Amino acid sequence: MWLWFAKLGSPRWFYELSDKWLPWLYVSMLILMSVGLFWALLIVPEDYQQGQTIRIMYIHVPVASISLACFPLMAVAGTITLVWKMKLADMVAQSVAPIGAWFTGLALATGAIWGDQIWGTWWAWDARLTSLLIQFFLFIGVIALRSAIDSPDAAAKACAVLAIVGAINVPIIKYSVEWWNTLHQPASNFSIDPVAPNPPEVWVPLLVMISAVYVFFAIALILRTRNEILQRERRSQWVIDLVTREKNV
Amino acid sequence: MFEFQFSSLSEFLQMGGVYTFHIWAVYLLFAVFISYNLLQPRMVRRHFLLEQKRRAARDEELSSKTKTQN
Amino acid sequence: MKPHRRKKLGIIIFIAAGLGTAIGLSLFALSNNIDLFFTPTQVAAGEVTPGQRIRVGGMVKEGSVEHDQDILEVSFITTDYNHDVRVHYAGILPDLFREGQGIVAEGSMSPDGTFIASRVLAKHDENYMSVEVKAALDAAGNTTGMPPGAMR
Repeated sequence: MWLWFAKLGSPRWFYELSDKWLPWLYVSMLILMSVGLFWALLIVPEDYQQGQTIRIMYIHVPVASISLACFPLMAVAGTITLVWKMKLADMVAQSVAPIGAWFTGLALATGAIWGDQIWGTWWAWDARLTSLLIQFFLFIGVIALRSAIDSPDAAAKACAVLAIVGAINVPIIKYSVEWWNTLHQPASNFSIDPVAPNPPEVWVPLLVMISAVYVFFAIALILRTRNEILQRERRSQWVIDLVTREKNV
Repeated sequence: MFEFQFSSLSEFLQMGGVYTFHIWAVYLLFAVFISYNLLQPRMVRRHFLLEQKRRAARDEELSSKTKTQN
Repeated sequence: MKPHRRKKLGIIIFIAAGLGTAIGLSLFALSNNIDLFFTPTQVAAGEVTPGQRIRVGGMVKEGSVEHDQDILEVSFITTDYNHDVRVHYAGILPDLFREGQGIVAEGSMSPDGTFIASRVLAKHDENYMSVEVKAALDAAGNTTGMPPGAMR
């Protein structure tokens, strides 16, 4: 098991393995995304209160929920960096930060557009909205911290600590709608009964979209991590060979 | 459960009429987000490969020059 | 795990827990300043001082909405089914505003016990369903699992 762990930590091994994964990921994203978007835009019936605006949910909810997964991932990668000094973990941590910032930013933006219609305001200093905004600034903070510190080792450690500490915000975002009286509604309970609130016709396409966006997240993360591997290992022989092999740039 | 909600393309683009802008703005932002995060790493990779190729070529030229000088 | 690694992991967990508690506590303290809303019961219990800028949230009571066409003022009762607060508001209501809908009103209590709102927001509930499903549910009189806000 430890051998496997050490092997997984080898950037070269990850780079070569991800070469094999990427085509599969692209294909599954294409399928899931097409089915999900088609379903969400054309098939999902109008909501009894919101009408067609329910279609915003099929973007907002997947993006927001995956934005919440980014921070714990960064915290885990940070812990591995600090304890086992695994090179790959820090590369992943560095790559996930801008993606997390994008996801959080898009969750805030789509939420604002939705809120403008449903609530009558695009922003409120609501516990859910405020804690998500804090997460956005935490991602920006992690990116800024890394570029502010010259020594890569020190930068990696500082970012890892900030990621671990900042992860405390995630349960606050998640449960804010239950702990406090917020404008944002609590999470929906899905029902298997077709004649009930939140029936399958509402949540099955949502699950398709969530999986599509998860696969997209994996692709985006792998692409950035691969670039980071190339950049940091550019003096090692295997990268030099790879550069010479690469004909069509 | 599997019924089309719109009978024509213009009806689909209208999205009920009242919140056309809101709904399509969200989907447009999503499209921008997906394309940026897939294309940006490709650009970075391309840039990296070009840079490394240039550097390798320069190093080779430099070493061949020093050889002829000696 | 090597001993020095274990020690390192321990230190990190300790620091993270410490900082986490500190952040959690300060966020908790901050939460008083985040825009939360008072329920009509809290208003009735005297938790609100007149004139203070607050939010009140509840359901729009059936049959309580009175429009004044001349001055575009609307008055309605917001309720949590224990206590009521009458709200006066002059301005544009969100589209989702209707009787039985959850709302959050921003403004202040006047000394006579009514709430003068400067803004009214609609609070959406977590139930999504099509018009047909809603009609079928209403016909069956089955509203189990639905919070008060979803009942109309």
